[in-house]
Amino acid sequence: MQNQEGPKADGELEAAASTPTPEFDDWPNFGDDDIMQQQSAIRAEEADKTPFVGNKEPLSSLAAEYKSGSPILLEKIKVLGEKYDAIRRTRGDGNCFFRSFMFSYLEHILESQDRKEVDHVKVNVEQCRKTLQSLGYADFTFEDFFALFLEQLESVLQGNETSISQDELLLRSRDQSISDYVVMFFRFVTSGEIRRRSEFFEPFIMGLTNTTVEQFCKSSVEPMGEESDHVHITALSDALGVPIRVVYLDRSSCDSGGVSVNHHDFIPAVGDLTNASGSSETVSPFITLLYRPGHYDILYPK
Amino acid sequence: MQASRARLFKEYKEVQREKIADPDIQLVCDDSNIFKWTALIKGPSETPYEGGIFQLAFAVPEQYPLQPPQVRFLTKIFHPNVHFKTGEICLDILKNAWSPAWTLQSVCRAIIALMAHPEPDSPLNCDSGNLLRSGDIRGYQSMARMYTRLAAMPKKG
Repeated sequence: MQNQEGPKADGELEAAASTPTPEFDDWPNFGDDDIMQQQSAIRAEEADKTPFVGNKEPLSSLAAEYKSGSPILLEKIKVLGEKYDAIRRTRGDGNCFFRSFMFSYLEHILESQDRKEVDHVKVNVEQCRKTLQSLGYADFTFEDFFALFLEQLESVLQGNETSISQDELLLRSRDQSISDYVVMFFRFVTSGEIRRRSEFFEPFIMGLTNTTVEQFCKSSVEPMGEESDHVHITALSDALGVPIRVVYLDRSSCDSGGVSVNHHDFIPAVGDLTNASGSSETVSPFITLLYRPGHYDILYPK
Repeated sequence: MQASRARLFKEYKEVQREKIADPDIQLVCDDSNIFKWTALIKGPSETPYEGGIFQLAFAVPEQYPLQPPQVRFLTKIFHPNVHFKTGEICLDILKNAWSPAWTLQSVCRAIIALMAHPEPDSPLNCDSGNLLRSGDIRGYQSMARMYTRLAAMPKKG
């Protein structure tokens, strides 16, 4: 008897699928798709407030945000002001670390025209490609994302037909079809690096989530919108050979009474760099991110 | 749109290549629309779905592969994570755990794995979930097997 119901039930689904706003007395047809639709509506609303990558703002705009807030934070922002003079905000959509890194890195290349750095990162990108292949990823699953990043890298170098200006870089970083693809490129690179050195990352991952390395990559690295932690930052920095400075702005204070702002430098593990120059000078990061619990923005040193 | 089309075309070629490698999955693209696919999957052995052939419908969004395909069972199935009426599937990779590293083919593999390893704690089909959660494995299996026979096996004369 139930069997005869089969085709009819399918017919009902067709009808339900064509009406995107279900009635509340329509619970049997209220499914996961509706929840996802609601989530994307919330995301769209958020998108109206902040673009993927914002404009450069003076550091005073950060202080204004905490005007009636914690005095420790205001003190710290004052200290920040000694070294940094501007901030660029990114959207809090779970991709903010990767998005900040993307813009900051490409902007650095655009301004410095550092071809040596570009050559160096390209070698590492090719290494990442090999890593993913050896981990069993099918080429077609990641190659489009690699190609789009390399295209952006090429276009911030001046003197080509495809060269772009700072304004154009900002526009592209706000264009979802480009921006999300580059974010996804970084996610692939990060995941590949973590899995390639799973023994190294395992204890850190256990500390965070108590899952296996593979599970972590599948559920917390590769999906868009999954937030980044120190594991992601370490892996991305190592894989691309790009040092990253993260400045921490939180309410912690030290006993001595004076307020200081901590930072941590993620310096690529040199032993793993195929192209290490071997020089003894310490690499200093040209990418500085501001971390406030749960979110990353870009900081500009004076 | 262009990007999703290009990606789907690559998957199409890959599917042609993998046909022999994965005899449990037969993935077919709609003749006139590369965003519509159907799949026939074999019920995994040593499960109540063994011997059944189940049809899945894929609707691929324009933002693919950044967004997951929508997949549902067209063949009726009694399983805790499949809606009994609509065929909707509760599987994390089809929702928030999706990533472009997945393909239509690997989604089929994940669904076969879900058939073999139901997750009764997040049921879309409560009757089925409750049977498993209360430990009535025999009850669940006989219901699931009955529907496999009724809906997923060729009718005998």
